[in-house]
Amino acid sequence: MILPGVVWYIIFAYIPIYGLTLAFKAYRANLGIFRSPWVGLENYVYVFRDPAFLESIWRTLFINFGRLLFQFPYPIILALLLNELRINRFKKAMQTVLTFPHFLSWVIVASIMINVLGSQGLVNSLIKIFGGEAVNFLGSTKLFVPLLYITENWKSGGWTMIIYLAAISGIDTEQYESAEIDGATRLQIMRHITLPGIKNTIVVLFILAVGNIMVQGFDQVFNLSNPATAKVAEILDMYIYRITFKTAADFSFSTAVSLFRSVINFVLLLSADRITKWLGSEGLFS
Amino acid sequence: MKSLQVTGKKRRLRNRIELLDIIIFIILLAITLAIILPFLNVLAISFSTQKDFMDSRFMLIPKKVTFANYKAILQDGRLWVGYRTTLIFLMIGVPLNLFLTTSMAYGLSQPGFPLRKFFIYFIIFTMMFNGGIIPLYLLMKQINLINTIWSVILGAGLNSFYLIIMRNYFMSLPSSLVESARLDGANEWQILFRIIIPISMPIIATITLFYSVDRWNEWYFAMIFIRKNELVSLQLALRSIVMEGQASQHFNYTDVNAIEFSDGMKMGAVLCTMLPIMCVFPFLQKHFVKGILLGAIKA
Repeated sequence: MILPGVVWYIIFAYIPIYGLTLAFKAYRANLGIFRSPWVGLENYVYVFRDPAFLESIWRTLFINFGRLLFQFPYPIILALLLNELRINRFKKAMQTVLTFPHFLSWVIVASIMINVLGSQGLVNSLIKIFGGEAVNFLGSTKLFVPLLYITENWKSGGWTMIIYLAAISGIDTEQYESAEIDGATRLQIMRHITLPGIKNTIVVLFILAVGNIMVQGFDQVFNLSNPATAKVAEILDMYIYRITFKTAADFSFSTAVSLFRSVINFVLLLSADRITKWLGSEGLFS
Repeated sequence: MKSLQVTGKKRRLRNRIELLDIIIFIILLAITLAIILPFLNVLAISFSTQKDFMDSRFMLIPKKVTFANYKAILQDGRLWVGYRTTLIFLMIGVPLNLFLTTSMAYGLSQPGFPLRKFFIYFIIFTMMFNGGIIPLYLLMKQINLINTIWSVILGAGLNSFYLIIMRNYFMSLPSSLVESARLDGANEWQILFRIIIPISMPIIATITLFYSVDRWNEWYFAMIFIRKNELVSLQLALRSIVMEGQASQHFNYTDVNAIEFSDGMKMGAVLCTMLPIMCVFPFLQKHFVKGILLGAIKA
């Protein structure tokens, strides 16, 4: 019964995992993954000598820790606001609009952004109407990282909001009723009932976000970056892509980097899982 | 989505509109417009001449509707190639996805299944630890799937997350159904196709939708595994059209008689690429939302 699925996992998941042993081999195209000779840690000597590798790691950490600060709170705020909105007809329509962009690929979203943020785009038109100077949003190394946070929330903020809205709908209504009888203002209710009510959800999503810190954002960065911003856009996955598919490929070297990435990510996710369990939640997996 | 709103209605004892409501409404309206206006802008540009676009400041409605951009972009041909490739991904990929997912989910949902726990960990491990793109690429090369659609279809054969959602759903079904079918002499495949799948239509619809969107949006595997102009996927065709002048180094189309695409043509291509998702989303929204809620219960 499960044979087809298991076969798929073995071929397309476990053989590539075994393929990571290439990190300790010297890859020869004619010998393939399995028969290339072992070289021990030699590849890692070169990996850790590559300044671009170390830089890409710091950049990944920097960008993705920034996401926790600047990107993570947005869906929570959005859910709180939409929950307070009393006009139900707008509520539904807005929800539809906010969740939609999540289902477009980053290729499409980046295309839209290139248009909207371009010199003739909507944003620059607005700036000009108010008498400002046109800004080169997509070619600026300074604006690139903030742009990542904004565009990510433009695309998926509404989608994540749904999780919080569901958590809010699970809060006991009696709490609200008694708070209103006690004469609490709406802001007080939001602060003392709604927010604590979704605390668990926030914690789980936060830990999950921390667990993904090494691997987040390739699709986005790849499509939004261009030669002008290439330098500030080289996160670890971009680095792996560049050394593997764009320069003369040394597959052993790339695999060594890739294994490093997978191991760190595994440790992060495992810790994330343990912490959620320790906090009394069900855990991220199983 | 109804259940989310009921609580809102019930608990509002005071019902007059306050200043706070107006502030909240304005903020949300601004955010909603920040999403709608770029789409309107894309739509308007795609139906305008390049001159009208350059003359206007805030293009939300075309001055004069022209179909020239669409004609030109469809004549270019690569969107057709993209549609063809992506439709193949959908038509072969999604049934394969569903076959692998339902059969494995059903097997692992049955309490008596041997080594059930082991196989669950076997799946979960791949969600936490994977080989990354390089070994997969070398594997595809070794089994001669590079530059064929099969590399993409098989590479994305199964999604562990959807598999686990499906399994959890199957586990919630009453076991008496399966047991009585077994007593009647049905084999496991018959039980899956004649009993389990028909009564699991809500979850199957949701998962089908997710797989379909994933296949439609497929670009990364297609970019890595397929380097052949006749098999470019739709997303990559769009990428080559829009980002041609912008970032030429990523794509192999680039220096082949570099055509200058007007903004109208580019935006026409964007619209052609997202049209199907745009058309189905409003009607199937509740299925999309269900998908994330099922996942969130797990998280």
